[in-house]
Amino acid sequence: MKNAQLVRSEIRRITTTRMPLAFLVMLGAFAALNAAVVAWGADADGTQAFLSTALDQQSLVSFSANSVIIAGIFGATAIARGYGHGTVVHIFLATPRRLHAQVAQFTAVALGGAVLGLAGVVMTTAAVVAALPSTDYGFMISIGDMVRLLAASSFAGAAGALLGAGIGAVVRNTGGAVTGAVLMLVMAPPLIVQIAGGAADWIPPTLANVVSGVSNETTVLAAIAALALWAGVPAALGLVSTARRDVV
Amino acid sequence: MAEDSPIIRTYVVVTNLGAAVAAAIRPHDQASVTERQPAMTSRSPETERIQPQPPHHRDRSLTLEIDSLTKSYGDTTVVDGLTFTVQPGRVTGFLGPNGSGKSTTMKMLLGLASADKGRATIGGIRYRNLPDPARTLGVVLEPNAFHPGRSGRNHLRIQAEATGIPASQVDEMLRLVDLSREAANRRVGTYSLGMKQRLSLALALLGDPPVLILDEPGNGLDPRGIRTLRDNLATRAANGDTVFVSSHLLSEVEQLADDLVVINEGRLVAAGSINDLRRTSALVRTTDSAELAMALEHIGGKVNRQDADTLVVEGLSTEDIGELAYHQSVVLHELSLNEGSLEEMFMAWTGNASSANPSISGKNEVPA
Repeated sequence: MKNAQLVRSEIRRITTTRMPLAFLVMLGAFAALNAAVVAWGADADGTQAFLSTALDQQSLVSFSANSVIIAGIFGATAIARGYGHGTVVHIFLATPRRLHAQVAQFTAVALGGAVLGLAGVVMTTAAVVAALPSTDYGFMISIGDMVRLLAASSFAGAAGALLGAGIGAVVRNTGGAVTGAVLMLVMAPPLIVQIAGGAADWIPPTLANVVSGVSNETTVLAAIAALALWAGVPAALGLVSTARRDVV
Repeated sequence: MAEDSPIIRTYVVVTNLGAAVAAAIRPHDQASVTERQPAMTSRSPETERIQPQPPHHRDRSLTLEIDSLTKSYGDTTVVDGLTFTVQPGRVTGFLGPNGSGKSTTMKMLLGLASADKGRATIGGIRYRNLPDPARTLGVVLEPNAFHPGRSGRNHLRIQAEATGIPASQVDEMLRLVDLSREAANRRVGTYSLGMKQRLSLALALLGDPPVLILDEPGNGLDPRGIRTLRDNLATRAANGDTVFVSSHLLSEVEQLADDLVVINEGRLVAAGSINDLRRTSALVRTTDSAELAMALEHIGGKVNRQDADTLVVEGLSTEDIGELAYHQSVVLHELSLNEGSLEEMFMAWTGNASSANPSISGKNEVPA
């Protein structure tokens, strides 16, 4: 009961500022970009072959890789800003067992990330569906594949948010935490792949695509486990850091 | 649960508001406070696992105990073996220069910072072990600790939700601190410092806690707000609550506090009731000041020369000084208790930590 209360209050903490709106606007921009690609984009040969099969359309509306990155920034911002504004003091005064409070906060942030991931797919799909009548193709993705895209994007969003939250709890500075999340999710993976080619299959965007079913570098279960590990390690470090360090 | 019903919670607040109004009309009655003051609460570690109790059945007499508290950051010791007690039924002022360790002490008491040594408890229980912290202790630490993009009302609702306090209490608290509905629904980023301070107070009072720990609560408040705050705190103390207030405004503390705890460079330099602390030195006027000063110092007095004929003597009673003057055949033109202003006392206590009045610094429990 107490844990549910804490999670509810943390969800309210997230939803009572304009931050979620800013992220939804960002998703809207992505969706609009996809609609523009569908309406006016073309392959090198001038055709719209990238829309011609169900798998092509599935790849287009798959949002999982973006979910990890966007939700990572969301998670880092949501946690680190509490330290910046000093509101974290209210959290730990209300729940002096910091681990309880932080788990509730991470849960709320992960839920927020999942919602962002879900919204990303929904908005992108809606934009693509709206733009398809201007092409020669109809909407071909099956209900089963659509459900998988939605579930995968939600999972990727939750994982990304948890990863960002962990970085936010360790860094405790919004700018630094966002930079850390971007470094970890956007800038570091290509560099890692340059050093070790085999690592390309295990970086978050690739893993998210495997979970979505638009890529098959590894098995779905292995991708889920690896993505959970990418999220779990920073989150665990964040929890340890919160429990051991002074709040202010 | 029935004890958490909005009706009961509202009743508690209305009762306090009524008492606050009464206190504003009738000055704080020191005698009645003393009569109501309960014995010091002491609990063994086993009793730390007590169950949360309904608000109206809670023990409102909780003593704050700071015992040998020490905290260092690197090579700098910011709190050094600090020991004092804050009694229920009193308003206790917490004074010290900037950087003297007041905020760090409060943070250690609240479990926000860990102590290297020592222990800080509320009614014998560490803050992190309190079964219902929001209904036990109200805190104002920093007036700016709000998200500028969130409304005042939502800040309160989040805290109420996290602590299981009924949402109806939010409106009561907003009314209590005089934040209008329109202001409460506005984003905190548009608030003045005084409005943020009112919101901080509303957060602190949300659970109707028997213990209040307030860091600079008057900061930014207008005179009317300060007056209301003073009355409210006095009323709470009169009802047996424990009120611990840190402030730099000495005149404010002088009007507000019954007791004082003064620290400097992380160490206790004075603790006791303001009245007792004021009477810790004697004023002596004599034409033979040099001879008398030497004799007074010989028997352990600390003598400061105010002018050629006037001595301020610490560590000796007026009886001791009078008898010594009689035996030395020194004519006294005046012998009285030196009731200095709080500012003068503060400057004397904190001018140099090593020059702290030994008769005061040894006495580290705020009297009941």
